[in-house]
Amino acid sequence: MSWTLYILPVLFAVVLIIAAVRKVKAYDCFAEGVKGAIPLLYSLFPYIAAVSVLTELFEVSGLSDGLRRALTPAFSALGVPKEIAPLFLIKPFSGSGSLSVLGELLSNYGADSYIGRCASVVYASGETVFYLSAIYFAGVKDKKPTLPVLIAFAANFFSAVLGCLFCRIL
Amino acid sequence: MNALFLVVFLISAALVAIRDPASFLPALLTGAGKAVTICLSLAAVYAVWMGFLKIAEEAGLLRAMSRGIKPISKKLFRTEDEKALEQIAVNLSANFLGMGGAATPAGISAVRLLGASKQADYARAMFFVVNCSGLQLIPSTALALRVQAGAENAYSILLPVYLSSLAALLIGMALVMLGYGRKRT
Repeated sequence: MSWTLYILPVLFAVVLIIAAVRKVKAYDCFAEGVKGAIPLLYSLFPYIAAVSVLTELFEVSGLSDGLRRALTPAFSALGVPKEIAPLFLIKPFSGSGSLSVLGELLSNYGADSYIGRCASVVYASGETVFYLSAIYFAGVKDKKPTLPVLIAFAANFFSAVLGCLFCRIL
Repeated sequence: MNALFLVVFLISAALVAIRDPASFLPALLTGAGKAVTICLSLAAVYAVWMGFLKIAEEAGLLRAMSRGIKPISKKLFRTEDEKALEQIAVNLSANFLGMGGAATPAGISAVRLLGASKQADYARAMFFVVNCSGLQLIPSTALALRVQAGAENAYSILLPVYLSSLAALLIGMALVMLGYGRKRT
């Protein structure tokens, strides 16, 4: 898998060369782009904080263990490690929530472990379906987007299960 | 999300109160502390990627990609509306390059514009499902969190991520075609 190590350096080099050819002020642009990160973080932190507080409480209360035990048969039938169940549950609702759950899983089990890799794949593939539907269909008043949401949810669920399988064989 | 927050919080709090009330406040503070750590790593990630993507945008890469996407999306979304196609192209390429900030506004106006097309329900559903697959050139957030967590091979997830996103895309597209019929106008 060592070829993947070259993707990023090559990508950066190619883009910078194209930018140079087109006389883009790379330094100014870079700084300009970073400027956009500040409002983004500013708007993200409150939600991440809320969800992190909640997940910690969820963990300490033992509720998380209980839920995990209840869901273990279903998830193990699908070949998904039971530790990732919380990520599966929060992923459709909240991007910042799944982010904080991913951070937790990576620091608890290690990024190179099977669980860590599965969690990364589940996080990185697929979107926060319900959140996106709220934003995209907010202006559509004539019809509720039930069918599209169900389809997207099902597609993402199956692909996440597949992702765990790919982690095992690749 | 509000209802979820309330229910989970109340049940957890009640259980903590029964089992070990002294650990209630420490748990809240630990959680908030983790949020600070995550945001700090995110600040680093965003600084690198948003700076880089801005250069890519100024170099015309976003525009070039949009041009490439247009003919395909005309077929896929069954619309001739130039303005809608424009917004779709910007949305899809921005998403693919990981520029969520640029993608969302374009996505919202694309959904609105698609509402006027002949097969509005089909087009909107297809657009939404394609968006939800989350296909991305570089899953930068996940990669960065992995690096920060001390991954020896942070990139080992790339291939599974591509395959999994692609699976979501194909399954979703097939289901939309099934659900809304194959017929063309």
